[in-house]
Amino acid sequence: MKEKLTSLADAVRRIPSGSTIAMGGNLLRRQPNAFIREIIRQGIGDLTLYTFASSTPVDMLAAAGALKRVEGIYFGFFGLGMAPNFRRAAEQGRIDVRDFPESGMVVRLRAAGAGLSFHPLKTTLGTDMARLNPDQVREIVCPFTGETYHALPAARADFTIMHGYVGDKYGNIQIPVVRDSDDIDQLMAKAGRKVIASVERIVPHEQIRANPTLTLIPHVWVDAIVEAPYGAHPCACDGFYDEDVEHLEMYLEAARDEQAFDTYLDRYVREPASHEAYLECVGGLKRLEKLCVGEVV
Amino acid sequence: MNGGAVTCTLNELMASTISRMLYDGELGFVGIGTAGRAFTLAVGIPIVAARLAQMRHAPDFTIYWGNLLSPDLDDIPESPLQDTYTRWPAAAALSDTGQKLDMLMRGDFDVSFESAAQVDQFGNLNITLIGDPKSPRVRLVGCLAQPEHLAFVRRPIIVCDLNRRTFVEKVDFITSVGHGGGTRSRRDWGLPGPGPWAVVTDKAVFDFDEGSGRMRLRSLHPGVTPEEICDLMAFTPIIPAEVGTTPDPDPEDLRLIREKIDCHRMLIRA
Repeated sequence: MKEKLTSLADAVRRIPSGSTIAMGGNLLRRQPNAFIREIIRQGIGDLTLYTFASSTPVDMLAAAGALKRVEGIYFGFFGLGMAPNFRRAAEQGRIDVRDFPESGMVVRLRAAGAGLSFHPLKTTLGTDMARLNPDQVREIVCPFTGETYHALPAARADFTIMHGYVGDKYGNIQIPVVRDSDDIDQLMAKAGRKVIASVERIVPHEQIRANPTLTLIPHVWVDAIVEAPYGAHPCACDGFYDEDVEHLEMYLEAARDEQAFDTYLDRYVREPASHEAYLECVGGLKRLEKLCVGEVV
Repeated sequence: MNGGAVTCTLNELMASTISRMLYDGELGFVGIGTAGRAFTLAVGIPIVAARLAQMRHAPDFTIYWGNLLSPDLDDIPESPLQDTYTRWPAAAALSDTGQKLDMLMRGDFDVSFESAAQVDQFGNLNITLIGDPKSPRVRLVGCLAQPEHLAFVRRPIIVCDLNRRTFVEKVDFITSVGHGGGTRSRRDWGLPGPGPWAVVTDKAVFDFDEGSGRMRLRSLHPGVTPEEICDLMAFTPIIPAEVGTTPDPDPEDLRLIREKIDCHRMLIRA
């Protein structure tokens, strides 16, 4: 097995502007925010995203002017409200937004992950997601039953970026036994030509090898793995820490105004030179430890 | 709501009304999230209704809540953080969200609960955007799995407060397909589910006319008039000659809601 452990900056340098990125995480959980901040720091832009329920990633990248297009099922902050920067950019026509139902993204990612070019779907029949997106939703007929379907193209991404849990230096990423499985991270990973993952902790390979069924993402899918404790902050990483509601509320307050949010981006994204500097900037490990939950075994 | 001996709130009336729409042996889906009134409509009232149904007449009504099948709903914290969801006791939390979507698409679900920014006379729903889709005046959240609910679930129940901003003649964007108004009928598209089944609001209950697919007044909540209903809707629903009154919850319903199901008022909040 090849060693794939690298730094956050090095991993992100591999992503050229104009890339299509599939994104792990769901709602306020395991969003790959350390990667997102580094993407903004490095000035990478013109991106297309494939997302499930996206909160901070789509919103921060929209604020940084780094998005060309997004394809996903939901853009918002769960119980805390809408995604203000995303919303502004969408309303001003600065981002091409293609809406898909949950099953639409799932089958598109499954198709990509299985090496297929499209997948049939019934969910979008009669909807405006289909009517307004003839590029990506086209009518077909089942050759066996004659039923009408929509064909949706595979969501093959240049890169998948994701955050979560623990992994070894070879890129094997494992789940805890008790976790929140309301996500499609494994499908996202399989749909990316290159997978760049961050984890809370790098653990010895022996620990991974002892429980191979807990491996969600195997090393052969992964191109780079990065250790980034609190890498989902201000979102949660289930089993490790809860969402930082205080920070998220401050974020959303700043996001009400474009200028105010640019100041947020300066302070929390552009100026801290590294993820470690960011963690200091949001209160340091002492404060962050208060978000931690008891280890679940 | 004070026709009988016990006075109930509108939310309790809505919950008990919905509970009578849930049958033994069914599988129902309830979403998670959102805050304030939207939480009460989309999550709180449906969960109270489902649990009340389980306690009264449908012991084998099964709840799929978020990603949890048959969760323990005895104690709902007010603002659950991630760790509460992570450790929530339940019969099953399947390996990824795709499993739930497969179950929806293969027709496992009998009932679902929908809230929306716009509902039109055919029960088409919009949670995606307001205004011209090419340059929306207000960009909303997207789709989630609501299109699946209206495409595949046997009896989707719409739960919304009645007002002209929500109950529009034509939705600006069809996120989820109702009984018509698009370019083809549900049958012509081959949508497997029959479409929205009922609309429960804070003023009245509606269903849909089988022929025209239009929304039809089924019962008025105590003290509400048909004129009041029409003032609160941007279209005129079908109003039958005889319209009944939505029955009040019986005292045992109210006792269960207040003492067993939602004793800390965490479900019915606003």
